[in-house]
Amino acid sequence: MATLSINNVRKQYGSVEVLKGIDLDLTDGEFLVLLGPSGCGKSTLLNMIAGLETISAGEIRIDQRVVNEVHPKDRDIAMVFQSYALYPNMTVARNIGFSLEMRGQSKPEREGAVRRVAKLLQIEHLLDRKPAQLSGGQRQRVAMGRALVRDPKVFLFDEPLSNLDAKLRVDMRTEIKKLHQRLGTTVVYVTHDQIEAMTLASRIAIMKEGVVQQFAPPQEVYERPANMYVASFIGSPTMNFVRGTLSAEGDRLGVSIGRERSGFLPLFQAPEQAGHWLGQEVILGIRPEAITCYDPAIAAGNPALVKVACGVNVLEPTGADTITYVELNGHEVVARIKPSDRVAEGESADFMIDMARANLFDPKTEQRI
Amino acid sequence: MSSLTSALPPAQGTGARIARWGLYLILLLFAAYYLLPLLLMIATSFKSPEEIRTGSLLSLPRDFSLDAWSYAWNRACIGADCRGMAPYFLNSLVIVGPAVVISTLFGALNGYALTKWRFRGANIVFGMILFGSFLPSQVILLPMAQTLGFLGLAGSAGGLILVHVVYGLAFTTLFFRNYYVSIPDDLVKAATIDGAGFFQIFTKIMLPLSLPILVVTIIWQFTQIWNDFLFGASFAAGGAQPVTVALNNLVNTTTGVKQYNVDMAAAMIAGLPTLVVYVLAGKYFIRGLTAGSVKG
Repeated sequence: MATLSINNVRKQYGSVEVLKGIDLDLTDGEFLVLLGPSGCGKSTLLNMIAGLETISAGEIRIDQRVVNEVHPKDRDIAMVFQSYALYPNMTVARNIGFSLEMRGQSKPEREGAVRRVAKLLQIEHLLDRKPAQLSGGQRQRVAMGRALVRDPKVFLFDEPLSNLDAKLRVDMRTEIKKLHQRLGTTVVYVTHDQIEAMTLASRIAIMKEGVVQQFAPPQEVYERPANMYVASFIGSPTMNFVRGTLSAEGDRLGVSIGRERSGFLPLFQAPEQAGHWLGQEVILGIRPEAITCYDPAIAAGNPALVKVACGVNVLEPTGADTITYVELNGHEVVARIKPSDRVAEGESADFMIDMARANLFDPKTEQRI
Repeated sequence: MSSLTSALPPAQGTGARIARWGLYLILLLFAAYYLLPLLLMIATSFKSPEEIRTGSLLSLPRDFSLDAWSYAWNRACIGADCRGMAPYFLNSLVIVGPAVVISTLFGALNGYALTKWRFRGANIVFGMILFGSFLPSQVILLPMAQTLGFLGLAGSAGGLILVHVVYGLAFTTLFFRNYYVSIPDDLVKAATIDGAGFFQIFTKIMLPLSLPILVVTIIWQFTQIWNDFLFGASFAAGGAQPVTVALNNLVNTTTGVKQYNVDMAAAMIAGLPTLVVYVLAGKYFIRGLTAGSVKG
C-alpha cells in the first residue's frame, strides 16, 4: 500500500527522447493503467518505476521516498512480465518463494508464505511442477503468485494477459480486478488493450510518443476525451468524426454539416469557448451509441436529441447490437442500433443524435474545445 | 532422425527405389572408408608380431592377445624412459580436467555478462574475443612461451593448463554467448527484482539452464585439449608431456624390429578417452530446456 508519484520523468537513448516529461500522481490503492500503442513509452516508464531502466531526468517517489537511485530489489515492488519469466529450472513452489529465498528467509517461513499465496490463487496442486508442465493460464497464476508473495507496496504488470487466449484473458482480467479489490495494493498496469484499461483502471493514462495525452478515470476518458487521438483510441467502433462549421441559428449554437439546412445540429450544452469558434471549422465527435433510431416518445422527453434523416448503407450485426453505417448529410457515420430497430440496407430512416454526448475538437490541434 | 525420414513421402516406382539403394551403397562405402583404418588399428593391436609379419594386413587376429596393450601401457620405451604410456596418460588427465572446467566456466561467465549485462562496447569486446577463435595456434607459440617464462610456468602442467584455458576461452565464450542470447532477458529482470545479484542469477538460473551447451562445450574442449599436440610439444618438458606427444615419441624411438601392434595399441590408448566422452555425453545433447519459461 503506497502512493506513487512520477514528476517530470524523462528518458533519453542518445539523442532520442522516448519519454518527454511524464507527470502522474497515484493515491494509495489506485489502479493505474498505462495505455497506448507499441512504442509509446509505456513499458519504458514501467521499467523505470521498477528500476530496470535508469531515469534520465525527473524523479519517481514511492511513498514519498525518491527511488531514482534505489536498486529494484529495495523498492518494495513486484512485477508480472508479459512472458511470465518463470525460472524454468525451478518448481512452482521455488519460483514463488525465490524472492524470499534471496532475502534470506528461513525455509519454514518461505513454505508458509508460498502456501498462503498458492491457496489464494488456487494453484496448490501445482507447487511441485516445473513451468514447462503448466498451461498458459497456470503459468500466469504462478507469475502473479511470485509477485504476491512478498506483499509489495506497488504491483507492476507488463501486459500480463496478452499471451492468453481470448476466453482466459477475460477470466484472468476479472480475477486481477477481484485481487485488487481484496488486497488494495497500488497497481501500475501496462496494456495496449482498451477494454482491459476500461475495466480495470481507477485512472487511465493514455500515452502517445512519450507524452501522456490524458490522465483521468475511465468514464471521463470515454465521455470527454482530451483530444481526437484519445477519442479514437478508446471505444469500438471508434468515435465518428464529422467536419462542420460552428454556426448559430436563432439563439442556439450548433454545427452545420453539409450544405442543406437539415445539416444543422444544435449543441445541447455548448462549451464556454464555443463563441470564439463561430463561423469557423470544427470537428464534431459522436460515439456510435449516441446515434439511435428515432423514437418520438423518447425524443419528446429529451431536448438533447436531434432528429436526422439518414440513408442506411451497411449493417453489421454483432448479436448484442447492430453496427449500422449511415449517410449523414454526405458523411458516413457509424451508429450502434438495437437489433430490433434495424433498418434494411439501402433504405432511409429517421435517426436521432444525442447531442449532450457530442464532443468538439479543433481541426488543427485536434484538441478538445 | 527416424521421425524426419518417416515424414517424407514414401519413394515410388522402381527408379526411385534404385536411387534409394544407390544412396545406401554410397553411404556404406563412405562408412567403410572411414572405419577401415580403425578396424585395422584394433585388429593389429591384438595380433602378435609374428602374425603381423606373416599374415595379411586386413585379416582378423588368429590368436587374440592383449600383450601389446599392456606393453604399450606400462613397459614401452618413450625416449629413454621405459614406463609406457601410463604416466603421460595421467599427465593428459591432469591437464585436461582443470583446463576444460576452467575454460568452460569462464566461457559461461563471459557469455552471461556479454548478453545479460550489456555494457557500452559489449559488441566490440565480443568481436575481439571472437577474433581469438580464428587465430592459428602457431601464431601464439612465441608470445606464449615468453609469457609462461615470465610467470615461471614454463615446462609445467600448470603452464599448459593456462595455455589451453586462454586459447579455449574464445570458443567457449562464443558458444555460451550464442546460447544465452536465446534465453529471455525477462528472466534476469525478474530475478533482479526478486533480489538476486549478478552471481546468484548466474549460478541459480543461468547455469542450471545451460546443460545442453555445457555438454557441447565440454565435449569440444575435451577433444581439443586431449588431442592437442602442438602446445604439448612446445610448452611441456620431459615428464610433463601429454599423451599425444608421448605417442609420437614412442613410435619414433622404437629400435630394432618395428612393433606395429604396440604402436597401434598406444594410439588406441591415446584416442580412447575422446571416444568415451562422445559415447557417454552424447545422450545429454537434449534440447528445449527453456521451453515453458516463456509464452503459453
